[in-house]
Amino acid sequence: MVDEKKNQKRNQRKADDDMINLVDNLNRSEDLRFNRRAFLKSAVGASLTLGIATLPFSIKAMMDDGEDDSEKLEIAKLSELPKGESMEFHYPTDSEPALLVHTKNGELKAYNNKCTHLQCPVFYEKKEEVLLCPCHRGFFNVNSGQPMAGPPQRELPKILLEVKGDVVYAVGREVRHG
Amino acid sequence: MGKKTCWVAILCSIFLNVVMLQWTIEAFFGKEFEHVYMYTIIAIASSFIALLFYGKWRKLDKHERA
Repeated sequence: MVDEKKNQKRNQRKADDDMINLVDNLNRSEDLRFNRRAFLKSAVGASLTLGIATLPFSIKAMMDDGEDDSEKLEIAKLSELPKGESMEFHYPTDSEPALLVHTKNGELKAYNNKCTHLQCPVFYEKKEEVLLCPCHRGFFNVNSGQPMAGPPQRELPKILLEVKGDVVYAVGREVRHG
Repeated sequence: MGKKTCWVAILCSIFLNVVMLQWTIEAFFGKEFEHVYMYTIIAIASSFIALLFYGKWRKLDKHERA
C-alpha cells in the first residue's frame, strides 16, 4: 500500500525521481495542436499569404501604368559643362535627383543618382571615370550605369538625352536597361 | 495521387511564391509592369493550387482514418 502511494508520487509531473519521472514528455494538448495536419495548414497559409502579398504591387502598377515620365526638360547648356565635369538636376520629378556627366571622351551620360543599394547619392569620379557611391563604396560604370563593384546589384536608371544646338534635354527614362 | 504528392505540391508552391514575391518587387521598382502582372498571376494561381492540394490531402487523410 505504501509502495503504491510512493510510486504515484514519483510519477507525478516534475517529481524529483529521475528514473521514474517519465510523464513530462507527454502532453496531449500539444500533441493535438502541433501535428502534421496543423503543419500542412500553416504551410498552405504561408503560400496563400505570399501569393496575396504580390497583389498590392499589381494594383499600384495598374494605377501608375498610364503615367508617362517622358517629359522633355531642358537640363543644361553644353558650353557650361566642360569634359570631365558633371552636374546635378532632377528628372522626371523634383524628388528624383539625377546626374549629367560629360565624360572625358566627350559623351553625355545621365542617370538618376540614388544608389540602387540604399539610396545614397552617387557622384562622378573624374580620375577613374566611374560613378561612386561613398556610403558603402559602390561603383557604377559611367558608360552603362551598371554596377561594377560593391554592394549595389542593380543598374542606375538611365535618362535619355537629346542635344539641340547648345542645349541638353532630358527626354525619357529607362529604369531597367542593358 | 497520394498524400506525398500533396505535400510536395504544397511545399513547391511556397518556394514558387517566395520567388514570385521577390521578382514582383524587383519588377515593380524596375517599372516593368507587364512582368509585375505576370508574376502576380502565377503567385495567385500557385496559392490556389496549394489550397486544392490541401483539400485533397484532408480528404485522403479522413479516408485513411475511417
